[in-house]
Order: sequence, then C-alpha cells, then structure tokens
Amino acid sequence: MDGTISINGMGIVCAIGDDRQAVLDSLLRKESGIGPMQYLPSRHRDIPVGEVKMSTGQMKRLLGIADDVQVSRTSVMGALAVREALAQAGLDAASLAGKRVALISGTTVGVMDVTEQVYGKTEEGVEVPQGNECGRSTEEIAAFSGLGGASCCTICTACSSALNAIMLGCEMLKNDEADMVVAGGSEPLSRYHLNGFNSLMILDRQRCRPFDDSREGLNLGEGAAFVVLEKDAPEGLAYIGGYANRCDAFHQTATSKDGDGAFLAMRDALKMAGIGPEKIGYINAHGTGTPDNDASESAAFRRVFGDTIPDMSSTKSYTGHTTSASGAVETVICVLAMQNGFVPASLGWSRMIPGGFAPTMGRTGVCLDYVMCNSFGFGGNDSSMILCRKRPAPAPVPLRDAAQVRLVARRSVRSDEELSALKEFLSPMETRRMGKIMKASLLSAFLALRDRGLSCPDAIVTATSRGMLECSTLFLEDIAANDEQLLKPTLFMQSTHNTIGSAIAIRTGCHGYNITYSQGDRSLEWAVRDAAMRLRTGEARNVLVCAFDETLSGGRTAQFAAESRIYTLEES
Amino acid sequence: MDELLYNLKLQIIDALNLEDMTPEDIDDDAPLFGDGLGLDSIDALELIVILDKHYGIKLASPAQGKEVFKSINCIADYIRKNRSK
Repeated sequence: MDGTISINGMGIVCAIGDDRQAVLDSLLRKESGIGPMQYLPSRHRDIPVGEVKMSTGQMKRLLGIADDVQVSRTSVMGALAVREALAQAGLDAASLAGKRVALISGTTVGVMDVTEQVYGKTEEGVEVPQGNECGRSTEEIAAFSGLGGASCCTICTACSSALNAIMLGCEMLKNDEADMVVAGGSEPLSRYHLNGFNSLMILDRQRCRPFDDSREGLNLGEGAAFVVLEKDAPEGLAYIGGYANRCDAFHQTATSKDGDGAFLAMRDALKMAGIGPEKIGYINAHGTGTPDNDASESAAFRRVFGDTIPDMSSTKSYTGHTTSASGAVETVICVLAMQNGFVPASLGWSRMIPGGFAPTMGRTGVCLDYVMCNSFGFGGNDSSMILCRKRPAPAPVPLRDAAQVRLVARRSVRSDEELSALKEFLSPMETRRMGKIMKASLLSAFLALRDRGLSCPDAIVTATSRGMLECSTLFLEDIAANDEQLLKPTLFMQSTHNTIGSAIAIRTGCHGYNITYSQGDRSLEWAVRDAAMRLRTGEARNVLVCAFDETLSGGRTAQFAAESRIYTLEES
Repeated sequence: MDELLYNLKLQIIDALNLEDMTPEDIDDDAPLFGDGLGLDSIDALELIVILDKHYGIKLASPAQGKEVFKSINCIADYIRKNRSK
C-alpha cells in the first residue's frame, strides 16, 4: 500500500479516431483529423476543424439512446469514452457495487450545443441557464455510461479543465475521498466557442502549425477522453508521477511573455514526481498554434529544461484543440506513446520561431519512462502532469487532520449599494468591463482577504452553478443578431466559468493553485472539499473559496450573490 | 472637434465600456495602449471590430493594428485613407 495512483483504463473519441486503437493508428500513420466542417451548423465553413466523424444521432444510437431524447454532444462523446475506459479496466456495475466512485469531467461548453440549436427560435428565447449548467453534462455522462451511482463533479478551467479533473481524481484517492475515480473531459464543437475564438482572431484559416514561425492560430477540435484511476492497484497501464496546477495571473486571454504560469506548473510537477527535467523523454506540449501560446510556452520550456529540450510535439496538429477535453485526450495519447514506444510527430512544422524550439517529427522504437503533458487555459489556468511507465518510488504525503481545517473569514456581497465599495480596491479603468457578478465576487474576495490581513491567498477555488450568465447570454444574442459576424470579444473573453477565479488571481497576484467547480447546488460543497485537501496536503496554508451565481431578467443580471471565505489550518 | 474624431471617440467609449469618459477626455495624440489610456489586447480586437463595422475596413491580424492604433489621430488618418463606408 504505497499510495501509487495508476491509470487502469482509458477511453477516447476525437477527430483521429472513435477509440484507442483508431487514435493510435492515426498517430503512427501521422494522419491529421483536421479538415472541412461537416457537422457543426456554422456559417464559417472556411474554418478548418477537428470534428469527431459521427453525428450526435449516430453516437446516441451507439449508446442505445432513443432518437427523441434531447442530449448534448458533450454527454454522448463523454459516455462513449467512459464506456471504453471502464471496459478496459474490466469494470461493470457489479464490480463497482458498494464502492465510492467519482466521475470528474472537465467541460466549459457544457450543454451549450443544445441551447444554441434552439436559441432565438422561440419568442421567449431559450433559457441560457441550461446551456451554462456544465454539471448537467457530467450527470448525463454518468447515466449513459453505466455510472449512475457515481458522485459527479465538473471542473471548468477552460482549456485545462480535463487535466485538472484527472489531478483532482488523484487528490481524492490520496485523501481517501473515493475508492475509484473516472476522470477526464468532454467538449463538443459549438457555434458559441467557434465564434468566440474567431472574435479573438486566433483561428488559423489553414491547418494549424504549432511552434512554426508562420503559425496564425489554432484549429478548434472536439472530443472526449476519460481514464480510470485507482490507488494501490497491483499494476496499471501507466502511473501518475506528479502534477501541478498554477496560475499565470497575467491576463484573461493573453499569456505572460516568459510563461510564468506554465513554468511554475512544469517545475512543481517535476518536484512532486521527484525527478529532474533530464528524465523526461517526451513533452506533449499545450502547443495550440497561436502566436501567443507557443512563444510563451517555449520561453517556459527554456526556463525548465535549459537550451536543450526532450522530444516535444503538439498533438493538436492531429486532433485540433479539443479545449476543455484536451488535457484528457493528450493524457491518453501520452500513455499510448509510452505503451507502444513511440513519440508522436508534430505536424505542420517547418520553420523555427526565433529563439524557440523545434518540435519532433516523430520517432518509433523508443522507450519512454517519463512523459510530461501540458494543458493551459484562459485566465492563465496552467497545469502540467508527469506520467510514468513503471511504478514510481513511493512518495507518501502525510495528511494533516481534517478536524484542523478552519473557516476564518466570510464576506458576502449581494446588492447594488454594496458594489460602490469596490472603488477602494480597483480603478474605473479596471472595472469598466465587469458585470455585477464579477464586481460582487471581487469585492467579497478583497473584503475577506482584508479581514484576515492577507493581500494574496495561497490558493483560489471558485464555485458556480451557472457561471457568467449575463456575459454568455449577451454573446449568444450577439451571435444570433449579427449572424456570427463582427462579434464582441469583450463578451466572450469573460464568459467562461473560471473568469472570476482568474480575475481574483490577476488582482491579487496569486500564482498558486486555481480551480473552478460547477456542479449545480453542490458546487460550493466540492469547492470546500478541495480547499480542505489543499490544506491537509500542505500545498496551501490558506485557501480563498469564492462562490457566485446570478439570475437574469430580460437577458440582464437581476439578482446576484457572491460569497468569499478563507480557510486555514489550525496550528496544533 | 472634427466630426470623424468625435464619432470615432463615441464608438470607442461605447465598445470599450469607458463609461465615465466623454470624447473631450480622450487626447487625440496620446498613446492608447501602455502608459497612455492603458488599453489592452482585447481592446485592440474591439477597435478592429469598430473599423470593420463602421468604416468597412478589414485588418488581417491584431499585429497589423499595432501601428494603426497608436493614437486617435493615427486611427482617424487610417480611416480617411482606407474607408469604404
């Protein structure tokens, strides 16, 4: 019983295959899945995408879901991947009976694909809240994959969601909060985020070229991948060596020039794994192909590895950027690479970024003992994980007593009158884009921190059932009213659920752990549980938990409430 | 104030949510980014939308905007030379 966490099953659905074997074959053949749009009903037919090569209806039939049942593409892709993972691990309802099973999924689109199909087509409009309830997709995945009894949890940290979901799974096993975890992520293409990324002018009109000097942006992809995680299993497909979630704390959509968040995540993942950078045989880079990401990730590589880096590639050149699912899609790809002794090629590269690094053109017949998988998200939510081919040396983490966790400060903000106090903390230039829910959340955080005499917390955990409802609704309106053209980037850039968590990090300069939960009424409960885990493992001495939600009337914020809490560990 | 400059400033105030400002508050020659007004990369994208929506000018990338968006006068000059509406 050495506490080792292993991956015992994997499932994947993405542009290069509907299962593990198909994905492996495409990687070995160096065949990209990026091409013309076939399934997404968008006017932007000129933008290449990495679609799963099945309609939602076809996936429903594979899962035995009746045609007239309305289900999100997020849920069906997720359920297919979970089913494959459970089958590989040899698990079914009978073997799971009596066990504490958690299903943790990373998504940001949630069930927005369903909402946008009907939005604007009825007189009242459709309730956007539905679309923003990311937790619903996870509950549907559980129901359709035979995990009906699992405890569902949804992580929304934009493009690092799935890697953070896997890391949370590991933490839950270490903290004895679950007996078995199925973790990963699912994200479909949607008009919503295709148009959002388009408004940010970071979509390449050609195939993406990660780390190439001529790169002009990313290609959006879609997919789902999940892994079965167990503690102390006799053997696994691969083992989790270490991981870290850190925050760039720089800007909502831009990355810091030197890649501060990426650097900290890689450095601390290596530290947890107890290995030096020279041990890494392959890096699966975040490598989106945007000018910004690839430059700052390269700068971060140089800080961690020096002037020579291990074989590095971006498999987004095959799958497209599967956004919230990418961390799990790429974890599965990393394990396939370790199991089959090859390094996946980076496609589309020909010219070095000045001062950058050349990605690998692929190698076979190699032995990969340690692999690094990077996943970075909007808001600077940057994570890195080390996977090991062989069982790593035990590195038990002593846990502090749960009874020592203390709530030491608590502030809530829920009225317009209270918001004027934000002037004490932020200038009008800084607050000009902020809706009421953002202002209320930031104010509650500043007040709670001040009550405790803190300027910067060690970790930030946010919780929301429906996220940035007003911004999301306004952006949906913008898409409908302007026929997907000339949309406002300001609305999209603050519409993800982790916007507030990263805004608090940016304003307080917190580069530590940063995560966002969205699981309906249980969001806060998950956040508090996470805070306790951070304190018990000693990763943080204090954790800021901020819970927020708003209701709309006529598409605008009607009521809002934000509450910030500080948790610490009582010294014994 | 020149009508183009005045309208442009109103469009910028609206798109960038500069709620407490009037056209008179924005200096025609002061830098819009960095030490001047203090705009950021998202504002640059909003300025690109303004050029397209109101003046029929399409910029290919945010990088192209760096030269054009130096000041209000720079933007106005660019509009005069390139507008199609």
